[in-house]
Amino acid sequence: MQALALAILLFPAAGGIFLGVFNWRGSRLLTAMVGPGVIWAAFVCVLILLGNNVDQDFTYWTWIRAGSFEVPFDILIDHLSLFMCLVITGVGGLIVTYAVGYMEHETDGSYARFFCYMDVFVLAMLILVLAGNTVFLIVGWAGVGLSSYLLIGFYYWRRSAVIAARKAFVMNVIGDIGMILGAFVLFVSYHQVVYLKLFPALPHTPDATTELAAFLLLVGGIAKSAQLPLHTWLPDAMEGPTPVSALIHAATMVTAGVYLVARFHPLYDATIYAHAAVAIIGAVTALFAASIALVQTDIKRVLAYSTMSQIGYMFLAVGIGAYSAGLFHLLSHAFFKALLFMAAGNVIHALHDDQDMRHYGGLWHDMRRSSVTFLAGSLSLAGIIPFVGFFSKENVLGEAFSRGDGLGYAVWFIGFVTAVLTGFYTGRMWWFAFWRPASEERPVAGHLHEAPLVMLVPVAVLAVLTTVGGFLQIKAIGGWALVDDFLKPVLGEERIRTNGLEYLATVLTLVLAALAFAAAYNFWIRGTWSPAGWRARYGWGARVLERKYYFDELYDWAFVRPLDRLAGFTDREDRSLIDTGAVDVGAYTERGAGALSLTQTGFLRSYVLVFVAGVVIAAVLVLWRASS
Amino acid sequence: MLIRRNPLVMLICIELMLNAVNLTLVAFSRQLNNREGQLFALMTMTVAAAEAVVGLAILVDIFRVRDLEDVDDLSELKG
Repeated sequence: MQALALAILLFPAAGGIFLGVFNWRGSRLLTAMVGPGVIWAAFVCVLILLGNNVDQDFTYWTWIRAGSFEVPFDILIDHLSLFMCLVITGVGGLIVTYAVGYMEHETDGSYARFFCYMDVFVLAMLILVLAGNTVFLIVGWAGVGLSSYLLIGFYYWRRSAVIAARKAFVMNVIGDIGMILGAFVLFVSYHQVVYLKLFPALPHTPDATTELAAFLLLVGGIAKSAQLPLHTWLPDAMEGPTPVSALIHAATMVTAGVYLVARFHPLYDATIYAHAAVAIIGAVTALFAASIALVQTDIKRVLAYSTMSQIGYMFLAVGIGAYSAGLFHLLSHAFFKALLFMAAGNVIHALHDDQDMRHYGGLWHDMRRSSVTFLAGSLSLAGIIPFVGFFSKENVLGEAFSRGDGLGYAVWFIGFVTAVLTGFYTGRMWWFAFWRPASEERPVAGHLHEAPLVMLVPVAVLAVLTTVGGFLQIKAIGGWALVDDFLKPVLGEERIRTNGLEYLATVLTLVLAALAFAAAYNFWIRGTWSPAGWRARYGWGARVLERKYYFDELYDWAFVRPLDRLAGFTDREDRSLIDTGAVDVGAYTERGAGALSLTQTGFLRSYVLVFVAGVVIAAVLVLWRASS
Repeated sequence: MLIRRNPLVMLICIELMLNAVNLTLVAFSRQLNNREGQLFALMTMTVAAAEAVVGLAILVDIFRVRDLEDVDDLSELKG
């Protein structure tokens, strides 16, 4: 079992090294086999560990030893890490398999490079969730940031992709700093890095140290999970290829913050302010992102904002202490958002990389299979029964509502409004891009080619999971709760619902979200209400949303511009002060050398003359000395 | 040596100077009853031999490339 736990990491590592070093321009077929193959191999390892009910902290060797500071290389296998591994290798495997078809137009070198990066990303993500101590966690955390940088900037010949990659990296590094400082505070205060020794050492009553550590870790979490105010990188990250968006920006990487809070739940349970901050940031981000998604026209950007919004729900859940509700939504979101991205990827692929929804239309007619799967994902995102999104979102909101205090009701209400908005923008995406007649601006006028089988099968698998996955946990209708039961050994008991009112709240949310989904039909198909009319009436609102609440402009004004000016100042001073000095030294040396070079006449006899003169002077000096 | 322009003659001049120094060294050594001068004369002979070898080798090489009569023609290394 010990070797098997390590094998989960070794398979993707071997795949990345093989593709990156040995198969750089080698066989395409081999690349297409190895790239997804190693992730499925890791998936099998996870399944075997799960089947044997392993729950242990495997220590392999001592990694760092310096005085009393000792970091082991250990892998923590428990139900939480196995749950995350299932999502990463399962959904990740489907996405990488899908990429075999999606990336087929790339050159041989780019093809291998893509799968190399994907395997390295999965490796880093697995390190992040399997790490048994905070130092190893940071390795995974930074590795995920690096590989997402590489994947977002995959099309490195596109300027916008490079800028987006840099932005994502800078934002992630801000989070990394918070993360490292948080781990540092924990070590300095409790002298432990291994989770299983650290958590029992934590106090149960709130104090300044735990609050500080929890806030610093939260900075790492919100940067990685694109929550306010470190969210600006996620929409721009849509520059990457669509499978990357599905893998990183929907299924795995952005959920790292949720995992972090769940993993450190003994710490967050011991705090008041940091824990509440998680819930508030989550709720506000959910509403914020959903409102921006209303007006975006790029289909991947709509999906990106809905991702932010759904991650907000997860933060809300873990922030009010409903950890397994948050992780259930994480699982459900991995299913339906990867599905949405990949179904949208089929469309983008067929329309020659056009992502603007205004150029779409007629897809229901031309690409029936992708459209059906997209509809399943949309309904799940909108939270319509019986799709997985309904059960998981209801679970989150139900836990918030039954908490029964001010914070619970406040975040519930924001979540409720967000759910209605989600129904509306999802409906807009569905009716506007898929259902309406083909747009005249569509890049491909005739019949569209449906995606190849290798791209359809993973989408179909996810569509099935999205449809039936909700029945893992049907607390909404008072049934069983398999996810809660599975995670109980790590996260503890979930609260029992005592308040009967939350079922009423559930029905209200469901009905209003469904109505909003349907109302979008009136907007974009029947034209009962015209979007243009609303825009005319509320133009300023649309502008604010289209400019994404001016966050990019604010950061530009607050950070980029002042730093730019500082750089300009130092540049000028460098030129006038330091460069001039250096240039002068060079100029004087050159002039002096010019003068001295006159002595190198090249005439042998002149050298002899100088030599003789020197001897004469020396002789005179010696004689003069001797005589005096 | 200062007024000669034939490189071979210049070498001979150097040789003459060294021998003059040798003579001086031996003479003073005898006069002052000090053996070091004689040792130094032996040193000088060695140096003179080495100098002749290197100098003649350079000259042979130069003569192979071109017909040289005047050392002032060798001014390519002018700074």
